[in-house]
Amino acid sequence: MSESFEPKIVVFACNWCTYAALDLAGTSRIKYPPNFLVIKVMCSGRVDPQFVLEAFRNGADGVLVAGCHPGDCHYIEGNYKALRRITLMKRMLEKFGIEKERVRLEWISASEATRFAQIANEMVEQIKALGPLAPRLEVSA
Amino acid sequence: MSEEAKVGVFVCHCGMNIAGTINVKEVVEYARTLPHVANANEYVFMCSAPGQDLIRGGIKKNGINRVVVAACSPSMHEPTFRAAMAEAGLNPYLLEMVNIREHSAWVHSHEKKRATEKTKALIRMGVAKAVLLEPLEEFRIRMQPTSLVLGGGVAGLRASLDLAERGYKVHLIEKLPTIGGRAVRLGTIAHSEISGTDLLKPVLDAVESNPNIVTYVNSELEHVDGSVGYFKAKARRNPRYVNAKCTLCEECIRVCPVEVADEYDYGLSKRKAIYLPFKEAHPHIMAIDPVACNKCGECVKVCEPGAINLEEQPQDIEIVAGGLILATGYSPYDPPIGEFGYGRSDKVLTLFQLERLLDPEGPTNGKLAVSGSVPKNIVFIMCVGSLGITENAHPYCSRMCCASSLKNMIRITQLYPDTTIYALYKDIRTYARRDEKLYELATESKIKFVNFEKTPTVNVGQVGVSVQVRDATLQENLVIPADAVILAVGMAPSEDLSKVRSVVKVGCSPEGFIREAHVKLRPVEAPADGIFLAGAITSPKNVLETSMAGSATAAKASTLFSQEEYRVEPITAQVTEELCSGCAICIAMCPYGAISRKTVGEKYRAEVDRALCKACGACVAACPSGAMQQAGFKDTQVLAQVVAISERRTGS
Repeated sequence: MSESFEPKIVVFACNWCTYAALDLAGTSRIKYPPNFLVIKVMCSGRVDPQFVLEAFRNGADGVLVAGCHPGDCHYIEGNYKALRRITLMKRMLEKFGIEKERVRLEWISASEATRFAQIANEMVEQIKALGPLAPRLEVSA
Repeated sequence: MSEEAKVGVFVCHCGMNIAGTINVKEVVEYARTLPHVANANEYVFMCSAPGQDLIRGGIKKNGINRVVVAACSPSMHEPTFRAAMAEAGLNPYLLEMVNIREHSAWVHSHEKKRATEKTKALIRMGVAKAVLLEPLEEFRIRMQPTSLVLGGGVAGLRASLDLAERGYKVHLIEKLPTIGGRAVRLGTIAHSEISGTDLLKPVLDAVESNPNIVTYVNSELEHVDGSVGYFKAKARRNPRYVNAKCTLCEECIRVCPVEVADEYDYGLSKRKAIYLPFKEAHPHIMAIDPVACNKCGECVKVCEPGAINLEEQPQDIEIVAGGLILATGYSPYDPPIGEFGYGRSDKVLTLFQLERLLDPEGPTNGKLAVSGSVPKNIVFIMCVGSLGITENAHPYCSRMCCASSLKNMIRITQLYPDTTIYALYKDIRTYARRDEKLYELATESKIKFVNFEKTPTVNVGQVGVSVQVRDATLQENLVIPADAVILAVGMAPSEDLSKVRSVVKVGCSPEGFIREAHVKLRPVEAPADGIFLAGAITSPKNVLETSMAGSATAAKASTLFSQEEYRVEPITAQVTEELCSGCAICIAMCPYGAISRKTVGEKYRAEVDRALCKACGACVAACPSGAMQQAGFKDTQVLAQVVAISERRTGS
């Protein structure tokens, strides 16, 4: 894979935990690669699997869905709903020929800015290794 | 959309915080090229008065009808910019904030070029969403500053009294014929010489005499409609058959032919079908047990004041309240027959029964009489029903049984110095401020502590009862003959919880108690607004902790009642009726019970109670037909952001 490939990764961040963790990363000046485009939702349970598919269709190379830790959801159990949906969707993605590693579901609390940065670094490396998704989709379209 | 979107983009430098990393000029130039963008501005501090003037001016002079502010996190200044928009006459929900400081400038200062590119993408996504934003109105509910308290134990009494003293009206509903709960049955209160009844008498009197509290005994909550600010409750007052004319002459008790076990003494004594629940019962009149009474009418004949009416019918009560306080307490762990010999020998008693025996006003007038005589050898088995020591035991620690057992052991050694006490324990947890003192006192007395790892067994033979235990310290098997075995049972979720849960939408914790909104940060609130949880309804608590929880719910309810209106953020879920097929998938998704199914013509349709909706959007993601949408986070709005991640698709 060419050295210049920089994956485009969409983050669906819940308002209460992960969005706040991203804010904390900012105020703490924690560096992470600028590959992430953040979309705020109130809860990870709001993330419709079609959002993820549309992200891939529109040029994303990876998607991170992130919410509160189990038991800590602002809406009691929205993160469990996300867990069920994303798990199911990953199975479907593989059938489409999209590597399941391109989608990650993570629990990132409001205080875990460093954890976000660590996941961000990992994801960029992982997806760089997988290569861009878009050209493949164009061919198959 | 009625009018064409004209978006104004306002990019903030935040001094050098943003401008030090991001090439703001380049970003603004770029924003001007985006579809629907009418103008794009930059300013050194957009949150300052001149910065806000730019926004207000854009709305008033340039006719922009959507605002995108690219600056700091919305948690900082979203309210500021919303207020500025409202001042200029634009609906404040037509704002989209793009977080280019925390999410870009501050974290990518090492890659300025790429940070600028990322910032452009974020603004492109923000504009795409802003175009589709719709004006929203805050939803307001007029607050009814009245509370309904369910349960007249320590928690409910404390909550009622605190609220009433602040001037709020309280409707207190109690299932039993008297208020007081379980704490009035404690023989002695730890660190004092008084009984539970003596401790609580002033509270009972205060509740009874407070004009702001209406108490309904013999009553049950049947139905609750509505939501925070305006709950409509229906309760049923079951007949007591005895009215306030009762003078407690006790003639009725003398003639009543029916005798049943007295639940007040946990079955250690008998009472008649007509009875005074306990000596300080409030209201201080007789009650008839509707299950036991055979309606023979003997009591009516002897009742001089004519206080008894066996024809009394149940009565419906309607209550409107702004908040609900649930305080239905706990049930003591009830060992299955045969567990540790319970129910097989009258020498095996629970801690709750022991409390009754040691109560000077109890069935034995405070004399420790077990199976007819004062026991010489007493074995306490701790953690019964707790810490998973038996198959039926709960996994948790009930917190109060250690201190309560130690308190009673010490009392017994004081009253009967010749008694030998064995305390078999898995763990001793005297965590509270003064309770460790109890453990010190107990170890200084002649109480023999035996630690077990393997659960002890109780043998009920023809000759007597003995307890077998392996001492974990000595690694020796002991057989202890016992004249009394006290099972230090813990607290289990109240038997009434399934009834409560069928009436009020509250969830269950894995242990079977009612679940709090947040176990640490919001411990006395249910997830749904306006519903508060006091006392052992959420977890085992001692009297002190229960009082605290009661007061806490009153404080929380007062906060609510101090507002004239309750405001609901307008980003709630809403149904497009024409698209809804009435499949009801959304109903199961909602943790707040905000969605119901109504009949429209011959079809089913989902309906959202906006006052109950907390705007998580779980129902929206689950809706198969797109009928359910979340204001401010509609599928189309989020998807517009998704589509705009790439330049090539913009505007398509």
